[in-house]
Amino acid sequence: MEQRPQRASCRWFLVWAYAAMLFSGLLLAGSGASAGETLKIGILEEPKTLNVWRATDAWSNKVLGLLYQPLYVRDPKTLELIPWLAAEQPFFDEKDLSYTVKLRPATWSDGTELTSEDVAFTGNFINEFKVPEDYSKWDFISKIEAPDKHTVKFYLKEPQATFLTRTLTTPIVQKKEWVDRIEAAKKTEKPLGTLLNEKIDSPVSSGPFILKEWREGSYLFLQKNPRFFGTGQKIQGRLLGPYIDGVIFKLFGTSDAAILALKKGTIDMFWWGVQPGYMEDLRANPDIELFQNEKSSLYYMGFNVRKPPFNDPNLRRAIATLVDEDFIIKRILQGYGVKMHSIVPSGNAFWYCPDVPKYGEGLDREGRIKKAFDILRQAGYTWQTAPVEASGKVVNGDGIRLPDGSPMEKFTILTPPADYDPHRAMCGMMMQEWLRMLGIPAYSKPMAFGALLQQVKARHEFDAFVLGYGNLSLDPDYLRNFFLSSNDKPNGWNMSGYNNPEFDKIADGSAKALDRDKRQALIWEMQKIVMRDVPYLPLYNPNLIEAVQKGRFTGWVQMLGGIGNLWTFCELKPAK
Amino acid sequence: MELRKYIGRRLVQVVIIFFVILTVLFLLFRLAPGDPVSRMVDPDMTPEDAHRLKVELGLDKPLGIQYLVYLKNFFTGHFGYSFHYGEPVVNIIWSRLPNTVLLFTTSIILSALVGVFLGKIASWHKGKKTDSILTIGALVTHTLFLPWLALIMIWLFSYKFGWFPITGMISEDVWLDPDSGFIAKSLDVMYHMVLPLSTLFLIHFGAYLLIMRSSMLETLKEDYILTARAKGLEEKVIRDHHAAPNAALPVVTSVGLSLAFSINGGALTETVFTWPGIGRELVFSVSQNDYPLAQASFLLIAAVVLVSNVVVDVLYAYLDPRIRY
Repeated sequence: MEQRPQRASCRWFLVWAYAAMLFSGLLLAGSGASAGETLKIGILEEPKTLNVWRATDAWSNKVLGLLYQPLYVRDPKTLELIPWLAAEQPFFDEKDLSYTVKLRPATWSDGTELTSEDVAFTGNFINEFKVPEDYSKWDFISKIEAPDKHTVKFYLKEPQATFLTRTLTTPIVQKKEWVDRIEAAKKTEKPLGTLLNEKIDSPVSSGPFILKEWREGSYLFLQKNPRFFGTGQKIQGRLLGPYIDGVIFKLFGTSDAAILALKKGTIDMFWWGVQPGYMEDLRANPDIELFQNEKSSLYYMGFNVRKPPFNDPNLRRAIATLVDEDFIIKRILQGYGVKMHSIVPSGNAFWYCPDVPKYGEGLDREGRIKKAFDILRQAGYTWQTAPVEASGKVVNGDGIRLPDGSPMEKFTILTPPADYDPHRAMCGMMMQEWLRMLGIPAYSKPMAFGALLQQVKARHEFDAFVLGYGNLSLDPDYLRNFFLSSNDKPNGWNMSGYNNPEFDKIADGSAKALDRDKRQALIWEMQKIVMRDVPYLPLYNPNLIEAVQKGRFTGWVQMLGGIGNLWTFCELKPAK
Repeated sequence: MELRKYIGRRLVQVVIIFFVILTVLFLLFRLAPGDPVSRMVDPDMTPEDAHRLKVELGLDKPLGIQYLVYLKNFFTGHFGYSFHYGEPVVNIIWSRLPNTVLLFTTSIILSALVGVFLGKIASWHKGKKTDSILTIGALVTHTLFLPWLALIMIWLFSYKFGWFPITGMISEDVWLDPDSGFIAKSLDVMYHMVLPLSTLFLIHFGAYLLIMRSSMLETLKEDYILTARAKGLEEKVIRDHHAAPNAALPVVTSVGLSLAFSINGGALTETVFTWPGIGRELVFSVSQNDYPLAQASFLLIAAVVLVSNVVVDVLYAYLDPRIRY
């Protein structure tokens, strides 16, 4: 009986504690410090690491891209390579296959000078340790010399077209930051593994920002780098800052929460593609500004050309005719995308070949079926019920037989599941329906992404699949990687198993072509061959829609791949 | 003495079960399709690069060798490095665990206290308006879809009214301010905790209410309650001192296990509220085939749940003298 007052007080304590919590919230609600001239960016995932050699995820690279700088970067308008840490275009000496690069004066964030020693160190380290993400960009270099503090000389084993676009765009690290770590790692059982597992708490930056604080799970704060070499410099006619005090990357678990935060003004930018479902709401909001840009991406259907029925290019061409890219863009992407006629996105204007076969272009559904029917009939395919009657009427086809008379077996189109990518899953469903109209027994099968990759890339146990690359390099060397016959191996990039000596020869030539125009001609030829044989059928390239708070900052730089680029961070100014 | 023997026997069982879990976990992750390296779908990475990475991660070795390394690591207390973070998994878990425990343990204790209290009231007023309101209220809130409720809470209290932050655990304005002291930072965390805590409370208190109500209704039929009434005791005394303690046993089991499971957090709650807990990491590590991180997280949960089971069973004997082992 005597315990009752104690219990009651305990209960009241809890009630008061909860009330205090609520009250503290209300007190703090109006007490947020001013954001000043700091750009607040909403991100959906946290960077996994600030170890530049370990970082493979987009989120780590978004942050690292503002810290570690390369010798050359892309001009936002022309996409040409322009000197960044380099002072001028590289000088090529044909006699000894060497490139000489002059560096502009630059300083690391710790106050030491950025010299040719750092550049040589970066390249030598990648080659010595065979760093997985970078080794293929450097393995053709036989020697790197640093004759003086501001000159680097690269000697190539053989001509390599990607030297400028991929090697010289690798971020440079500070020798001083890594040299002791490397020496220590060499004494361990797995030196590379040890280095990949290094935790980098305060990266030494040569970029416009430096790391100030990272509260894991909450935010990451980059502060303006007072020693940034670009400050006050005019590069490509652009006077560089940064003009903002810093950047705060704020983590959000869902797009819904990030969009609400943007509308509320808690963040200034949401650095991720806005899904079409949010567009109506955001367009109607006067505080929000939207940017729509083409991406360097490729979403496509791939065929297993190693085995029937897809070893027949006629069948692949007929399918390419049946697939209605206009429908995909209008209905599945709700208009926020562009058609892809080639493997290279049209936004990559210099390398994109406009003169490739465009299957089914301008035809309606009946027209596509008739055209596809003609292709297959001429190739020797037969039907129990032909999809096009003698009168020209289109009906549902049935009982399709291959040219050798055997019935076409059921086959599956593997797609990622709808919760991973609704667009690709929906494309699979639509293609299933379109193919069945011609009597082709297609079945779309969504599959967990990891399992899909295993089946397609590692084991080659598939008929057809729908996959994509959200961020293709601007150098079109991937075209060679995707279809070179020597890359048809487990975990190789030639997932379709395409084997064409004519293509291989041109592709090898393109890899060694140092003259840009000559290389362009070869790359265009490769695109024509690929689109003639259709081992991959490009489906769409979604637009990147990005949203920012209107009136907080000006100077967003739009380019292929959106506004989240180095130029934006160097030119963005607080609105007056 | 009997109790000691019982505890000893249970602990032996726990060790055996834990060893089985250890093995099953290893196999489950290895047999699941996909591997951490094949997810890196960057055409810049050649098959040779991918193989080198596999060697560095130790994934090139036969399954049996990998298992032995795994056991050795476990018994030496070294759970390996996360494939994606490149950090010791122990560090990752320890950095996330306190956040999860803070939110979920608080929510369970709060929900249990309120649920038990209201369950007692509901059973006492069985069939009356109070009972109907409480029971229906509990059923409705308990069956709400958590992410939906969470988003509604954010939309209403953060976006529309602006009372609370939209998500997160801390505010950079407070934590980057050099003048902010311990109290300001603690208040900031409490402030961020209000919405996720309220959401979890709304979802969970109903379960405890319903368990307590049904247990109380059973207890109220017992003879000793009749005796207490015959003795002329006050109704409140009968309810709070005679019926409630006897009816609380099922709630103890439920709360005990919920507290144990609270260390795995809730992937949905943590995702919607961007709460930097272990639940999100767990989902991420499984989806990305980050074996060391996923294994260590599951082993931790398994260990806590197994031990909690023993603790709850022992607690039974303490709470109910009729139970003897």
